[in-house]
Amino acid sequence: MVVPELDTLVRPDDCRRTPPGECAVITTGLTKRFGRRVAVDRLDLAIPAGSITGFVGPNGAGKTTTIRMLLGLMRPTSGSGFVLGHPLKEYRTYLARVGALIEGPTFHPTLSGRDNLLVLARLAGLHHRVDPVLDRVGLLRRAKDPVRTYSLGMCQRLGIAAALLPDPELLVLDEPTNGLDPHGIAEIRRMLQSFADEGRTVLVSSHLLAEIEQVCGHLVVIEDGRLVFQGSVAQLLAARAPELVVRTECAEETLRLARIIEGVGRTARVLREGDAVTLEVGADCSWAGALNRLAMTAGITVVHLAQRDSTLEEAFFAIMGSDPRPGRGTAGDTGTGTGGGGGSGTC
Amino acid sequence: MLILRAFSSEWVKLRRRRLWFGAYGAIAGVVVLTTVVTIAGAASSAGHHPAGTLTLATLSRATGLSRGLTQSGVLLGAVALSIAAAQFGGEFSHGTLRNLLVRAPRRASLIVGNGLAVLSFLVGAVIVAAIVDIGAAVAMAQVRDVATGAWTTGSAMASLGQIVGDMALSVCGYAVVGMVLGVVLRSSVIAIGAGLALLLPIESIISSAVPSTARWLPGQLLDSLAQGGSAQASFGAALVTTSIYLAGIVVLALVAFTRRDVTT
Repeated sequence: MVVPELDTLVRPDDCRRTPPGECAVITTGLTKRFGRRVAVDRLDLAIPAGSITGFVGPNGAGKTTTIRMLLGLMRPTSGSGFVLGHPLKEYRTYLARVGALIEGPTFHPTLSGRDNLLVLARLAGLHHRVDPVLDRVGLLRRAKDPVRTYSLGMCQRLGIAAALLPDPELLVLDEPTNGLDPHGIAEIRRMLQSFADEGRTVLVSSHLLAEIEQVCGHLVVIEDGRLVFQGSVAQLLAARAPELVVRTECAEETLRLARIIEGVGRTARVLREGDAVTLEVGADCSWAGALNRLAMTAGITVVHLAQRDSTLEEAFFAIMGSDPRPGRGTAGDTGTGTGGGGGSGTC
Repeated sequence: MLILRAFSSEWVKLRRRRLWFGAYGAIAGVVVLTTVVTIAGAASSAGHHPAGTLTLATLSRATGLSRGLTQSGVLLGAVALSIAAAQFGGEFSHGTLRNLLVRAPRRASLIVGNGLAVLSFLVGAVIVAAIVDIGAAVAMAQVRDVATGAWTTGSAMASLGQIVGDMALSVCGYAVVGMVLGVVLRSSVIAIGAGLALLLPIESIISSAVPSTARWLPGQLLDSLAQGGSAQASFGAALVTTSIYLAGIVVLALVAFTRRDVTT
């Protein structure tokens, strides 16, 4: 497993040294056991205030259990933490400033969208917030309709509206894009950005790493309840070196070039997709000229040479110790969505 | 303060048209059925009848107006238990409880406020049942030629008021059992099934096999409350014993609800 250089990452200690308010969430040794099973294992979190933090991990990694502990729905077995400056044990104090969508939107199907929010708003004396939050998520016109007539995207937006009821400083959104089409995902992404622009801290768990990469500045990765990575997305991406993608005129020449490259001490992975053969060379743009000269000397014509930066998905699988791409590692059953192609630039 | 808010919040759910029609309709149906069967089955006044037989002469007394309502105690209780269990267990089944607890983390206040709202809904249902009973009784009196002169007296109204009060107490008792089962079992379907099975067939079998147990079984005692006292237990004894039972299970439910992790 590749663990990034931790001294470059945010640690809970860093947050404790900073003035109050710099970290919206800090936990130290947060642990939750269910019998013999350890769902969350000595988790040290530090969520910077005002950030959009992605909370990533395979199914069963402990994300939702962690979120439930932060929201007072579960008691930690051990460990401590602070949310918005208050100890976890005093969750009744800070929850008035927290909005949450946990494990997808759950509502009474026969009640209207407005009445579902009214159930929650009346509990907290927030009647006046119902229509503004419905308007904010674009559901005001359908507010009187029963929730059972809503699409999944509308339910997700209603869930976000419910989370916005207390005008929260901290928004905790568990899988807000689950089941949404690309349009719905883009809409949620815009919303998340607007929340951060308003100065809110957003903690968003998602399987869609491409979405996390686009919207999150900070990232927490957990596996088996343990912290695997914590830091900026840029730091995680930097932990995985870029590669040169090379194609030649024909497959035989590409294979010959691979042997030449390995002969000079570089790694060259061969990827076959049908008849096409592509090389991924362990080098960045600065070695492109040397590679081209090697090919020319051998009489091989390079038709494509580009640097491909790693995607968050690749970096994620790297630190999880698996690689989902064919021929390059085990495609672990993480339930993680595709992250799309890597960013590339012509050298 | 939170109790009032929780009460008000629960009423948003209770005012659903479907619930009103379903619950009040079921209760009205039960009362109409028992009233019709009671009056239709009354023996004519002439001739000798075994002691305790309901006759048309008995029905023509001031208490005759509310006779059907009195007989429907167990069925109304079953409806009340089901509604309460569905309201509370449903929060777990639907997964909506976690939303409530994030907005109202003081769990005991939340459950007490929600419970009071459900009880107020059911007391309303008993009043509806009484109104429906009057209509059904008057209609059946015409059919069976029951003299209804005594039904409009102050004594009849007082009797009806007392029966409504007793019935409301009994229905609230059944509802509390339903709520507790909903909270403890965390599923509306299981809570309704367990509650109805316990209070109806299981208790009936036990009390038939060992009649002396009837004055200790909660379902039997709640039925005695609905009737203003019975051969098994006087009203006072039933009230005291059920109060102790209900207080005990409410404390258990509160402890479970406030201490358990919310995993749904």
